[in-house]
Formats: sequence, structure tokens, C-alpha cells
Amino acid sequence: MTQRVTGQRFRQRKLSTKQNLPVLRENEVEKLPDDDASRHIPKVETGVEKGEEIVTVISAAQAAAQGGGKAAHLYIPTPDAVASKLQYEDLYPRHFTQPATYIRFSSTVEDMIGCPYCMTAEDVAWLKKYNEKKSKGVQCSEDEFEQVMNFFEEATQTKQPYAAVDNSPVLSYEDLEAEFDETISEPSRRFAKDIYQHWKDERLRRGNRSLMPTLKFETNLETDDADPYVCFRRREVRQVRKTRGRDAQVTEKLKKLRKELEEARLLMSYVKRRELLIRDQLAMDKLIFEQRSAVKEIKRKLSIKGDDEELLINQKPAPKPKPRVDMQAVQRGIPGMGPKPQVTRPDGRLVDSDMVSLDDQLAKKSEMIDGFIEENLNKHQKWNVGWVDATWRPITPPLEQSAAKSDFRRVFTDSQLPTPPASVSSEEAGDAMAVERANKQVEPRRSARIRFATPPDDVPYQDQSRFRRRTGRGGRVMIDRRGVKRQKLEAIDERVADRWKFAGDSSEDEQTYPVDWTDNLHIRYRIMIERQGEKQHAQATAAAAAAHNRRSIENHNRSASGHLMPPTPTNTG
Amino acid sequence: MAPRENSHEPSGTPVPVETGFATLAQLRVGVKAFVEKDGEKRKAEILMTQIRGGKPKFYVHYEDFNKRLDEWIGAERIDLSKEVEWPAPEKPEKKKAGSSSKTDKASQSKQSKSDQKNPKRSRSKLDREISATPEATSVNLPGKAPRPSKASGKENNELLVTSEVTDGTTPKPEDEDMDVVDIQDAAAAAKAIPAHEYSREDEIEKLRTSGSMTQNQTEISRVRNLEKVQMGKYEIEPWYFSPYPIDFVDSEMVYICEFCLSYYPEVTQFERHRSKCTLLHPPGNEIYRDDYVSFFEIDGRRQRTWCRNLCLLSKLFLDHKTLYYDVDPFLFYCMCTRDEHGCHLVGYFSKEKESAEGYNVACILTLPQYQRKGFGKLLIDFSYLLSKREGKLGSPEKPLSDLGLLGYRAYWQEIIVDLLIDGRVEANIEDLGAATAMTTNDVLHTLQNLNMLRYSKNQHVIVLTDAVIEQRERQKAKEKIKGKRSIDPDRLIWKPPVFSAASRTWNW
Ligand SMILES: [Zn+2]
Repeated sequence: MTQRVTGQRFRQRKLSTKQNLPVLRENEVEKLPDDDASRHIPKVETGVEKGEEIVTVISAAQAAAQGGGKAAHLYIPTPDAVASKLQYEDLYPRHFTQPATYIRFSSTVEDMIGCPYCMTAEDVAWLKKYNEKKSKGVQCSEDEFEQVMNFFEEATQTKQPYAAVDNSPVLSYEDLEAEFDETISEPSRRFAKDIYQHWKDERLRRGNRSLMPTLKFETNLETDDADPYVCFRRREVRQVRKTRGRDAQVTEKLKKLRKELEEARLLMSYVKRRELLIRDQLAMDKLIFEQRSAVKEIKRKLSIKGDDEELLINQKPAPKPKPRVDMQAVQRGIPGMGPKPQVTRPDGRLVDSDMVSLDDQLAKKSEMIDGFIEENLNKHQKWNVGWVDATWRPITPPLEQSAAKSDFRRVFTDSQLPTPPASVSSEEAGDAMAVERANKQVEPRRSARIRFATPPDDVPYQDQSRFRRRTGRGGRVMIDRRGVKRQKLEAIDERVADRWKFAGDSSEDEQTYPVDWTDNLHIRYRIMIERQGEKQHAQATAAAAAAHNRRSIENHNRSASGHLMPPTPTNTG
Repeated sequence: MAPRENSHEPSGTPVPVETGFATLAQLRVGVKAFVEKDGEKRKAEILMTQIRGGKPKFYVHYEDFNKRLDEWIGAERIDLSKEVEWPAPEKPEKKKAGSSSKTDKASQSKQSKSDQKNPKRSRSKLDREISATPEATSVNLPGKAPRPSKASGKENNELLVTSEVTDGTTPKPEDEDMDVVDIQDAAAAAKAIPAHEYSREDEIEKLRTSGSMTQNQTEISRVRNLEKVQMGKYEIEPWYFSPYPIDFVDSEMVYICEFCLSYYPEVTQFERHRSKCTLLHPPGNEIYRDDYVSFFEIDGRRQRTWCRNLCLLSKLFLDHKTLYYDVDPFLFYCMCTRDEHGCHLVGYFSKEKESAEGYNVACILTLPQYQRKGFGKLLIDFSYLLSKREGKLGSPEKPLSDLGLLGYRAYWQEIIVDLLIDGRVEANIEDLGAATAMTTNDVLHTLQNLNMLRYSKNQHVIVLTDAVIEQRERQKAKEKIKGKRSIDPDRLIWKPPVFSAASRTWNW
């Protein structure tokens, strides 16, 4: 304070922290009779508390007063740390190996220290005595002992959180046994009753206070504040301080929670309604059944023969027969009743066509496939006329024709991976299409298309067919292929599949039909389009498709015994 | 000039001190007598008495020494051939404490008689009573607030007189070792810290609002509660009180696991623990590694137990630290050395996840068994490296402990002098701060403190004094011999963590 007062007698000259100041050596500054000059500099907040500013000056004062003579023992005395007598090597084994990368770790102390209860010397003595009486096989291990003790301690902590304060009696064994859970293993339980006595003695010796010394946490009593042992309080005030942002956030959260709960409630009420309807329906079914059997009985009585079998069997196709539907079904089931009426299933599809068309469809499909293969085989034979086939597989389509060549690749690359760089390491490798360019018949548009085609998003990379084209010794062109196989079906969403399981209230437009895009039908469809579009390339396209088709067969339709099997469309419905 | 003499010379406002000869039986709490300490007679104040093994023992605080040197002594070390100072007569508002002091003493001696066979138990009982009744705490600790505040008030006057003379000629008494300093300096530092008296309410309010681990005044003069701790390869004497479980006052030695920092009152339990404990390094991510040390970053909220254990441990050596509030709002940066046994905690600093005051360190400590080896400088350097990475200027939270302050002073001096000595002819304060991640105030403070900021030929100049250059040379010579340990910024793999509003606060 004195300094500041004296300083005010001088004209204050502001020291700017932004301004460049000359850096000088001591001999470059004129010696001043006293240090008044330094007082021109306004005292700044030093960043250290006032008390400590004082310390600085004190130290200066003392150093000056004492001179240099005492330098020998200038240090802050601190109590000693000495080497411990404990066997470090035994307690801390050499288990640590440093990983090459920086350690990342998130387990907590609780995860890493095992059973928190650790045996005291008394425990060790008791356990030793206890085990002396037992044969080797049934002795209680230290771990089991600790597990039981820990369980007793923790159970007491939960059941009597204030045991130390309110003088509650030590829990009985029965009370504790009732709490047994997975934290106490079966082998340990064998000793629980015996250990209980020891535990109780220890507890009583300490006035039913915890055997594991614990920290004192806040009890929200007035005594907390003055108690130096109470530590690690929650800090509530600060939370309240930053309210505005938090409040809005909390409100939003509560709103959302309420909305979600509301929706859950609504859902439950719908479920309830559905179940009630199903119950009514079942009652109705039962009634129908009873009435039918009544009808049957009456028929018997009236000696009307036949037809009562159908009366019952015809229930089958409609699993949840409604009276109206059932009536129609009954009519339909009877032979000679004229044209079939349009029966709709509860989900809106035609019961009849659905039933019949599956077989039809299957037959059609296999027919188509057979025809397709047949057709292609014929084509191959045509191509091969006049050529000596020296290839490994005679059916492999010829690669010589340039048009066919480019088309061949296009079919695959169009929707699949572009040609990756060649494996040869020269500059040549950088331009995979170099070979291609040499061929004058290639249309620029096509090669561009090959180059920039991106793989379809919905097909996982591993499932895409990949080709590599490279030039070997003597200018041979080689094509490596990888991952050439038929696409797997997309996994059927179980929830979607489930929809048919229960109710008939799902609407048509929600239904999704998983589609196999390499399915023969689709391939055929694509071929058709190609044909219509570019007549001149039709032949080649078909050849490629055929090749594709054949590959599919090779890769996917081998039975376990290795026989070729016709492609069977997996159930998509 | 030494304040030791000054302090018992009534100066300024005369406080009459009653002196006289005393018998052993007359010694009581508050009496100041001469006690033998390391071959010298030093004045010490009795903070607590008790009968142990049938003999009276006194817990004494040496005047002008940091209270980390407070200790229990036997009667034979008290020199009764010299006059003692009686405690000042009670002021009216202190009456309550005074009267209860007597009754307490009476009950205490009665108790100790009945418990003579088991003196340890009586001690722990006493402590429990203390903690249970708020009044009792002040009874045994008469120095609570008056002692430091009286002292600082007096020293205040004195230093302002002397400062003008000494400021210019001060060769800093610090040697290269950051811990090295004048004894009396340290004593004064310890004393001067509580600049003014806080009321309990003020203090709690301050704790609440300042948001971190500032000191808790009433804990300052609390009696140390642990005798010794065993940790790793060392046995360490604690310096200050730490709120370990109250039962631990009965233990001769508290065992602390070097890796999980769990604490055990007896060796059997500790050995059992060691057979089960599988932790080998601080439970967090390693963010720095060189061939000497590693740093781990630990989130107080995610690793509550470990961080609480760390705080309990460090409280043994930090007077200013408070464990009043929980560890959630802090990150802990732990420095370790490594060997085949694991990563050995050497020191750490804590840092608020979000500091309103812009502090980059809340608490900082090198464990005593590793002190005086230059680790403190590495810790400080690392804290500034983090600030640089954050693009912020940082400063340690105040107040610093005496050792902490010296460590920072030495670091700041080295860093700033190093920058200035590179031959530049001009420097500005903000640029110096930006280059070092030091706040402008800390740069200014350092320059002023070293008398490097002067006024010459109508302008302010920065002077590289002969003293600082000389010191720099000495240090360089020393580094040549000992090798220089430093933090390599390239080895820090770290991004400033971002916390959501929820994780910064104290959700449970
Ligand atoms: Zn451990």
C-alpha cells in the first residue's frame, strides 16, 4: 500500500503490454541512485494473491538482510520419505508390459480390485482355526471367506444404512440369508453360516460399525459443515447457477419423455383392443364350430348323408374365418358350384390366385430357366461354328470379337466395380485402359462408362464381382475375376415378416418384396430391354447374360454332393 | 530483520504478551515455549496435549515454520529453563471457546487416565468427538484464525518499508532446484497466505462460487491425523490433515496401493489387496509418452473412486487443498515413470473441465518421495503445453502452496529469460505471454519480481539483469552435467476434451 501511495506522487506513465519494449543488458541502463524509476510502472495485479505478493517481498528482504553466507542451507524443510521395509517385489510383481501404442483404458478401480473386502489379521487367525477342523477338500479359501464377509457388509449397508448411528442390532443370519444373490457364489454359501458368527463378533466389537473403514460423506445434517472428515460433497449451487440454458434443455427432455410415454400408452391400449378382438373372434369361432357340429348332429338325426366332412375341412384355408367368408368358402368347397367367387384374404390378396399361382410360378420359372439355358447353348454352338475350341470350357463365350468384348465388360461394370488399376507396376499399369484404346472399335462412350461406373450402393463390396484386366508377357490380355457369385438375398426384416403372423390390418402398400437383382427374371428383363434398344448388340448382350447366368449356377446351385441344381427362387413373399 | 525476532516483539499496536516460567504441569494448549528442534531451540506453540504411555505428549507448531513440520514431542524436548509465553487473555467473543477449553482439558485428562492402558484408543475417541461437535474443534486448535492473521498484519507493515531498499539488489535466493529456498522465506510464505480472516459462511460461499479447490481456512491448523503412510517402495510422513476414514488415526501406518491408491489400515489387508489388485497404471488414457515419463488423463466423473483416492493422498501434502467438494468437475493429469512393475505415479495436476477464471491448473503436486528431482518443472511445463494446444493462456489457481509458488516462479523465470536471451532487441509483454501460454499478468509479475521491468530515458525497458543471466548460465552448466529433462510437444497425442453441459455439472 505504501508503495502505491508514494507512486502517486510521480506522474503515472502507462505501461502498454502491447507495445514493444527494448531489451537491454544491465550495463546498458544508467545506474539510478534508487529504484524510484521502477515506481513509474503502475503496479499490476500480479496474478498471485495478495498474501503471496507479500511473501515475495519478504523473501527479498530476508535474502538481503542475511547476505550470501547462509546459502548452504537454503531450502524448505520437508519431512522425510524413506525406503520401506516391505518387500516391493513380492507385493508388486513384474506384470507390466508396455504396449507399442499409447494406453487407452476405461475400467474403474472397482473393476480391477476384485472383492473389496480384505482380510484383517483377526480374520486370518479365525480362518486358520476354522480350517484346522476341516478336511482338506472342504476348507474355506481366503477368497470365499472374503466374498461372504463382503456380502454381509454390503447387505448390512443396504438394509441398515445408519447402523453406526442409530444403534440398530446386528442383522440376524436369517435376514442376511434372505438377501443371497449372485454376488455370493455357491461354494461360498457353504461357509456363510459359520462365517456369520465371526462376522457378528467383529461387528459387535466395533459397535455395529462397518468393518471396512469408510470415508464420511455428507449426511445433510448441520454437523457436516464443521466436520473435517466429511468430504466429497455434491456441489449443487453451481448447477442452479447456469439455469437458463439448462432449463430449456430440461424442459425439452421432459416434453419428449412425456410424448414417448404417451405413445407407449396408446400403443398398449391398441394392443389391448386387438387382444379383445381376438378373444371375440375366438368366441365366434367356437360358436361356429359348435353350431356346425350341431348342424352335423341334426343332419345325422335327419339321416342326410355326406357333405359334412367338407363342412369342417373347409375351414382350413381361412385361418381366421369370418362368418361371411366362411359361408363362401363352404359354397366354393362344394364341387360343381360354378365359377369360383373372388375370395379375398384378410390382407386383401386373393386367396385363390395366391394359392394356385405359387406352383404355376415355380413351374414357369424353371421352364424359363431351362429355355434360357437351352437358347444360350444353341447360341454358343452357333458362335463356335468353324472354330476349333481349344479352351478349357467350350461354352465360354469367345472374346475375340471386339464388340462382344466391350459389351461383355459393360454388363458387369455397369452396375459393378470399375476396373481397378492393373497389377503390373509400370506406367502402363496407371492406365488400365491402354490395352483397350489400342482396339479401335471401342466406342468412347462405352469406355468412359466403364471407367466411371460406381458400384451400387445397396450391394456390399464383398458381394460385388470384380474384374481385373492386365497385360501379360507378349501382350497377352488377361482377366482376373474375383467375387463372382450370385447375390445373396437381402436379409428379410423379421418385423416385416412378422406382420403376417398376427393380424390382418396391414395395408397392401406397406408391403415390401425383397428382390434378388441377379434373379434370372431380372436378368431376362434387362436383356429384353437391351434387345429393344440396341438390336446390333443384342446377341452379345445375351451371351454375356448367359455367361452370368451360368456362373450363377456354378457358384450357387451346387448341392452338397456337388450336383448342379436348377436355380430355385427363394421365398420372397 | 528476520521476522522470527520481530514476531515476538510487540510492534505497532502493542499486544501485551504475558511471559513467565512454567512447570511441566502448567503447559497447556496455546502456550508458547522453546523446544529443541534439530539441535536448535525454537519457539513452538502447543496445539494439543495428551497422555501416551503414561507420559505427556505435546503437538507443537514451530513458529516461522510451515506446519508440515508440526509434530508430537515428549516433555524432554521442552526447555523450561526459559520463559514461556502464556496465551493471550480471551477476548469476550472467545470466551466460549476458552471456557470449554478448560473443561475439555479436564475431561481429556480424566479420559486419558481411565484409558491409560490403551492410549491409542483414547486418541481416536477424542478425534471422533472433535469431529462430532463443532465447538470442540476450535478448542484444541486455538491458532485457528488469529495466529496467521495477526502475523500477516504485522509483516505487512514491515515489508513495505524494506521493499524499496531490497528490491533492486535482490539476487533471487532460489537455486536451480525449484524447492530450494530460504527457510524463513518458507515460514513467512506459510504464514502470509491467509491474508484476511474469513467467516465460515464467507468461506463456504467462496468455495461454492469459486468452483474449485481453494483453501478451507479452518482446516489449516488442523492436527495431522496419520502417522505414516506406506506407498510403493517408500514410507512417507504426511504433512497435513487428510479426511481418510476416521478409524485410521489408530494405525501406525496406513498402506496405500501404488496403482489404485486404495488405503488400508493394516498390512494384512494391504497384502490381501495386492494379491487381488490388477491395476498397473492410472485408469485413463495415456496422452503423452517419452522415454522418461508418461501422462495419463483421468476424468473425475468417470473414475470417481480413483480420483477421490488421489485427492485424499495429495491432501496429505497440500495444505491449501480442500476435499470439500467432489472430484467430478475436474480432469486429473497424472505423470508416471514406468518399469516392469507398472506406471508409478510421480505427481499430478488437476484442472477444471471449465474454469471460469481461466485457470489451467487447480492443484499440483509432486509426491514427496519424488520431490527435488525436477518433476515439478515437467508438470508445470506440461500444463502449459495443454494450454498451448487449447489455444488459451493459463495460470495456476491461487493460492499456491509455498512449494508450488516457488516452482512456478522458477519455471516462469526460466521460460521468460530463455525467450529474451536469444538476442532480440525488442519484446512486448503480450507476445511473451502468447509464446509461453502465460497470462499477461504472470509475465508482468515475473518481470517485476526479477526487477527486469524498469524505466529508463523516458521509456519502459526490459532489462536482462546480470543476476538472471548468471543464474541462467549456472543452470545451463548444471543441465550439461545432469542432462535436461523436458516435455516434447510432438509426443502429446491429445485433443482438448469437450464436455456436454450435463457432464460438467454434478449429475448423479
Ligand atoms: Zn490396488
